[in-house]
Amino acid sequence: MDQKIGVYICSGCGIGESIDLDALSAVADEEFQPAKRVVHPAFCGEEGAGLIRSDVDAGDINTVVVAACSGRVKTDVFVFDPMTTILERVNIREHVAWCQPAGEDDTRMLAEDYLRMGIIRAQKTKLPAPYQEEIDKTILVVGGGAAGLQAANDAAAAGYSVLLVEKEPEMGGHMAKWNKSSPTKPPYQELEEITINELIDQAKADERITIFTSATIEKIAGAPGMFDVTLNNGGGTHRVGAIVLAAGWKPYDATKLERFSYGTLPDVITSVQMEEMAKAGKITCPSDGSEPSVVAFIQCAGSRDADHLPYCSAVCCRASLKQSVYVKEQNPENKVFIFYKDIRTPEQSEEFYKKVQKDGTVFIKTDTAQIAIGQGSERKLSIEAVDQLMGEPVLVEADLVVLAVGMQPAVLDDPILNLQYRQGPALPELKYGFPDSHFICFPYETRRTGIYTAGCVRQPMMSSRAGSDGTGAALKAIQAVELTAKGKAVHPRAGDVSYPELFLQRCTQCKRCTEECPFGMYNEDEKGTPLPHPTRCRRCAICMGSCPERIISFSNYSVDMIGSMIKGINVPDEYEEKPRIVGLICENDSYPGLDMVGLRKLQYAPWVRFIPLRCLGSVNLVWIADALSKGIDGILLFGCRYGDDYQCHFVHGSELANTRMTKIQETLDRLMLESDRIRLEQMAIDDYEKIPKIIEEFTARLQELGPNPYKGF
Amino acid sequence: MEARIPFLEVSDAIIYSGAETLYWCMQCGLCTGTCPYRLVPGPASEEFNIRLVQHLGQLGLEGFESENCLFACTTCRACVDVCPRGVEIINNVVGMRRMLAEVGTIPPSLKTIAGSLHSQGNPWSGPRDQRTAWIKDVEIPTFSEQTEYFLFVCCTSCFDARSQNIARSVAKALTAAGISFGIIGNEESCCGETIRKVGDEQLFQNLAQANIQLYNGKGVKKIIVTSPHCLYTFKNEYPEFGGEWEVFHYSEILASALSEGKLKLSGSNAGAVTFHDPCYLGRHTKLYDPPRELLRNLPGAELMELARTKNKSVCCQGGGGRVWMETAAGERFAELRIHEAVASGAKTLVTACPYCITMLEDSLKVLGKQDELAVKELSELVAERT
Amino acid sequence: MSDAQRKVLVVGGGISGMTTAIEATEAGAEVVIVERNPYLGGRVVQLNQYFPKLCPPACGLEINFRRIKQSAGVTAYTLAQVTSIAGAAGGYDVTITVQPRYVNDNCTGCGKCAEVCETEIPDPLNFGMNTVKAAYLPHPMAYPFKYVLDPSIIGTDEAKKCKEACPYNAIDLEMQPTTVSLQVGAVVWATGWDPYDATKVDYLGFGSLPDVITSVMFERLAAPTGPTGGKILRPSDGKEVRSVAFVQCAGSRDENHLPYCSGVCCLASLKQASYIRERNPDSKAFIFYIDVRAMGKYEDFYTKIEQDENVTLTKSKIARVSKDPETGSPLVEGEDISQGAKVKQTVDLVVLAVGMAPGTASVKPDLEMGYDDFGFVTSPGDSGIVPAGCVKAPMEVAASIQDATGAALKAIHRTLGR
Repeated sequence: MDQKIGVYICSGCGIGESIDLDALSAVADEEFQPAKRVVHPAFCGEEGAGLIRSDVDAGDINTVVVAACSGRVKTDVFVFDPMTTILERVNIREHVAWCQPAGEDDTRMLAEDYLRMGIIRAQKTKLPAPYQEEIDKTILVVGGGAAGLQAANDAAAAGYSVLLVEKEPEMGGHMAKWNKSSPTKPPYQELEEITINELIDQAKADERITIFTSATIEKIAGAPGMFDVTLNNGGGTHRVGAIVLAAGWKPYDATKLERFSYGTLPDVITSVQMEEMAKAGKITCPSDGSEPSVVAFIQCAGSRDADHLPYCSAVCCRASLKQSVYVKEQNPENKVFIFYKDIRTPEQSEEFYKKVQKDGTVFIKTDTAQIAIGQGSERKLSIEAVDQLMGEPVLVEADLVVLAVGMQPAVLDDPILNLQYRQGPALPELKYGFPDSHFICFPYETRRTGIYTAGCVRQPMMSSRAGSDGTGAALKAIQAVELTAKGKAVHPRAGDVSYPELFLQRCTQCKRCTEECPFGMYNEDEKGTPLPHPTRCRRCAICMGSCPERIISFSNYSVDMIGSMIKGINVPDEYEEKPRIVGLICENDSYPGLDMVGLRKLQYAPWVRFIPLRCLGSVNLVWIADALSKGIDGILLFGCRYGDDYQCHFVHGSELANTRMTKIQETLDRLMLESDRIRLEQMAIDDYEKIPKIIEEFTARLQELGPNPYKGF
Repeated sequence: MEARIPFLEVSDAIIYSGAETLYWCMQCGLCTGTCPYRLVPGPASEEFNIRLVQHLGQLGLEGFESENCLFACTTCRACVDVCPRGVEIINNVVGMRRMLAEVGTIPPSLKTIAGSLHSQGNPWSGPRDQRTAWIKDVEIPTFSEQTEYFLFVCCTSCFDARSQNIARSVAKALTAAGISFGIIGNEESCCGETIRKVGDEQLFQNLAQANIQLYNGKGVKKIIVTSPHCLYTFKNEYPEFGGEWEVFHYSEILASALSEGKLKLSGSNAGAVTFHDPCYLGRHTKLYDPPRELLRNLPGAELMELARTKNKSVCCQGGGGRVWMETAAGERFAELRIHEAVASGAKTLVTACPYCITMLEDSLKVLGKQDELAVKELSELVAERT
Repeated sequence: MSDAQRKVLVVGGGISGMTTAIEATEAGAEVVIVERNPYLGGRVVQLNQYFPKLCPPACGLEINFRRIKQSAGVTAYTLAQVTSIAGAAGGYDVTITVQPRYVNDNCTGCGKCAEVCETEIPDPLNFGMNTVKAAYLPHPMAYPFKYVLDPSIIGTDEAKKCKEACPYNAIDLEMQPTTVSLQVGAVVWATGWDPYDATKVDYLGFGSLPDVITSVMFERLAAPTGPTGGKILRPSDGKEVRSVAFVQCAGSRDENHLPYCSGVCCLASLKQASYIRERNPDSKAFIFYIDVRAMGKYEDFYTKIEQDENVTLTKSKIARVSKDPETGSPLVEGEDISQGAKVKQTVDLVVLAVGMAPGTASVKPDLEMGYDDFGFVTSPGDSGIVPAGCVKAPMEVAASIQDATGAALKAIHRTLGR
């Protein structure tokens, strides 16, 4: 595209009063000679917006640079066809006029640098050419339990073909083996019949759903829109577009719970065995087949125990309440004890807890991990526990003890999907083997694009919620195939049509990109050359930051682009005592944070030029070197919090940036510069009040170090 | 510590004895925290933990039987009112007491009471033929078919010298209001409310049956009572045994007579008064307004509210059989009320229950606050101004 | 099938409604959001941080607002309420009433109107704990990024002053309520929840003691955009708060109030304990609970907070909050069950963990939806109305979003006639 740039400088909202716009216009005119350059008091108004639009419509310009307010606002006004027009928003309102003293030289210089960088960014932007291949929109659902069946049925109901793979000969998962389910309907007191067969029948009847039972996945190759799924036992290879993993859970191995004598005393059973017995029609003591008249339930058998499963399995309280009803239904004279740490019946299920209390079940609060179970004298078993409600030990004799065992994800020691990804065959887990999302706001987020998890493989949950979880995952799978078909990215850069392009002739097979991509976008050939799979890509550009050869770029984001912007900054010589700092910042959190600083009219030193980045992980070390060798005095990096509770939406972008900065020591040594010239701050979106102080401290430190000796070179 | 062995047969027996909601309790402790014993020191305060008592009951374990534990409960209903599970805590207490009563392990002082009720039909060891001795020189009509209301006077006001004035005052005020009422006489027996709370169910039922037979035989349709305790049992417990009448506390009758203009009040200035809500009039029966209506309309009355009032009223400690048991000075709920009344600025602490009068007057004397405060029954203030 | 039938109406622009709208749009649907506040985001906007990550809600909201901005598929009406819905799955006629904002799309957010406005109103965002100009931006990250004029100044000179101060002709004092009619194929009901009225739990002192506040108020006290700029100061005297008692189940799990468990309050209080602990190393937090309900992996968060020796967790349902006669501070009393002792704790501030009442508890729309005894929406069967989020059950943010994502697909089904 032959770029015809229009520069539109707004004087409204205090910009005109703050910044010498003649000087700013002169920078545009003299340094860039744009096809158009207009100053107007309100480009967001009808008249101002009309000016830009008519220039675009007339073909006078195809690249719009608006120097006005933040790119986060007035997005409905400054909107052009992205396939034909390049738009660059230069924020001289929140980031200059609203946070700097009016009329000062330094304020003008700040605005000028922002305009230079904005125009350079626009110049370095190419029109996008989306990555579009022939894609298949079939949804693969792995697991035919409550979550998987719901996902399959709901995807099919929206018109999508579904491949449903179940490892057992019959579908239905755990639920099919259950006797009853705990209440889900008002008044939340009656046990409900298992309705999984309805879902199975629906799936079988739906011609859009192809079902494979007794089937496992040998391997899955490819990428969203073009996964090739190979089933075992000659089940063939099938192309699908997206995947819902609903492989469910398995009970914790009760033999690991020695205190409870599971495996040595036959009448100590697990909740799973109890359920199967109830379904078979009669609850009996395994030792002699007699009907128990006293049954004790031990909650948190393995769960909430640092030595076993540190987490809460979420369903066991309700499962034991349900099973206590079985015991009472078998004989109303039967006695039930429930030993618990906390009764966890959230939401309306509190009503069920009440109902079971009213049935006369005895609840004893105790640290269940300390319970000892042995042979009884009057009944088969004895349970020793400290009753925390009276502060004394109790000894309960029972005929049958049921251990409410915890849940573990089915993928714990089997990747199941067997992905042919360089980073491994499994979906990366979050904690305890659950491939759950790390993000509160985005619970379906996974680190493998187009693959979503649902049900108890994701986190412990009730069957009713597993169903709705399957529905949600199905929606995400549908989104993935629809966006992929259009060459668009999925969350969090949904709709982005750029994608990484590699100039492989210069690749040195260092494998940094293939290792560092949080989403496993790259496979490798035998030599270690990256094999990109663009539909797996989330467009974070972490690979761009990782590449020492700088061979990875996007149509609208590149090493050269940001490097050129940095080079475009006007660096005064050392005698002017005007330090220059480059601020490389996360565009989702720190950039809005800076907007907040402006909105609240907080003031900060005029030395920093902030450059928003897709992710701090996209920082290429060459930018630091370029900046320092140009005479920039310091580099500030604002990225998201990292560590266990990381906030980076690309998983570890800011952490990678931090690692890279520690490695830059070598470069600094070569340049004979102090490492303090680079500072990385973890910054949440609401940390904006800290920004002026950080700038102040950093400037003070730079003053101590003195000007960058490379100024003027 | 030796492990204790739950004995659920005992729990079953407790439930069978009336503690039907024993297992509804989730052991949150709100009852114990709400219990007025938390406001005073002493052995009962330390021993009586109603939450724990119920947990022991749930497990069928011993350890709650003492006078300072299970028998400390005054059945004031403060805990029941707030219980998040709707546990009928008083019934649970009574159920557990019944268990003990059946085997005769109730506190000794209560045994004397039971004996008197058996032999004399009242708990105060008063001769049955002296039941109407309170009348003295007043003229009280005898109930007949033509009488609208049967006036039932609480045993306490029949036999206790101080309390007799309440009976006379009620009668005087009713007369002044032109109410058609009458008493039956010495054949009347104690209503049995309190002995039932103590756990002697058989005795209660005997008393109830005797009364029901008597009243129904006389053609009683409406009853006026002098005590909220009698009110409670006549209203809520007698119907089950065949005693179905309209039952009113005298304050209801007098308040409506006042509003209808049938009762006129005049005379000396009542001054600054405050009202202690009796548990059985307030929390148990939800009658908060009639007594206040009467007080507001006393000549020259200024009604101040106690810091803890209406449904937050603190028990006088006379209910649940405690009126017949000893609580050491310094540990009495009524003392709290005296202090509160003094702090309210009122000169007269008014209440409407013979038990409350007994307890409050005792504490007034123990605390030596007679110069600052007077304790009066509502009926007395009204009768004095008719 | 017509375009109208393909359209989805989402009632409620909180985290659930917004999620449903965005997720449906990214799957190809066209969505209209109706939100009664002047901004999107609902109750999460008022939260300081989310548990268990202790991250700011604004971060996820920013992503979601960006998704709305870059998608042509979402139309959002703020200050709007649905006045009627008629029809059946696949074809509903909907009427929406939009209340006047008195500020039009010309608004640049420059703030000139607020500069001249002298009238202050209780800040609705901060539960009235402070005041804000009657010409105001609901909060700094508000979407839409537009000022609002409080109706109380309309017709006064104040309003005229604001209008005159605006350089962009963005203030329109003649604005009237408008009615919008549209046709949609499906309706998602996501009107969220209200905090339970804590004055009804009369023994806990809210409303009579100034230093007893609710958990939702405490979020604002801790938030950088709150009435104290994120400094936790107590309402009675503005002193720094060094000890806080968190009273769990203030209304929840109580047949006299909300019989169900509100599901999120235990974790919210653990989170709020971290607010006070983070600000001052000597500060103390006391949490009084019946059962600690930290489901699933949230248990880790409970374990983490519990390990802090300045955080004390006591099994006790608090029976009384009163003014300590000696210090004037709130005194919290109850039974310490595990120790067989009394709770008698004087603290600087008491935070009542108030329960969640569904929006549909107070106003039950006349739609094909069933309600349980508590006002939560139960399964609507095959109708075209799809409930989402906290109108169905108390849910934390992640669960609401999970539910709302599923609701998006269910709504799409309805538009397809399935």
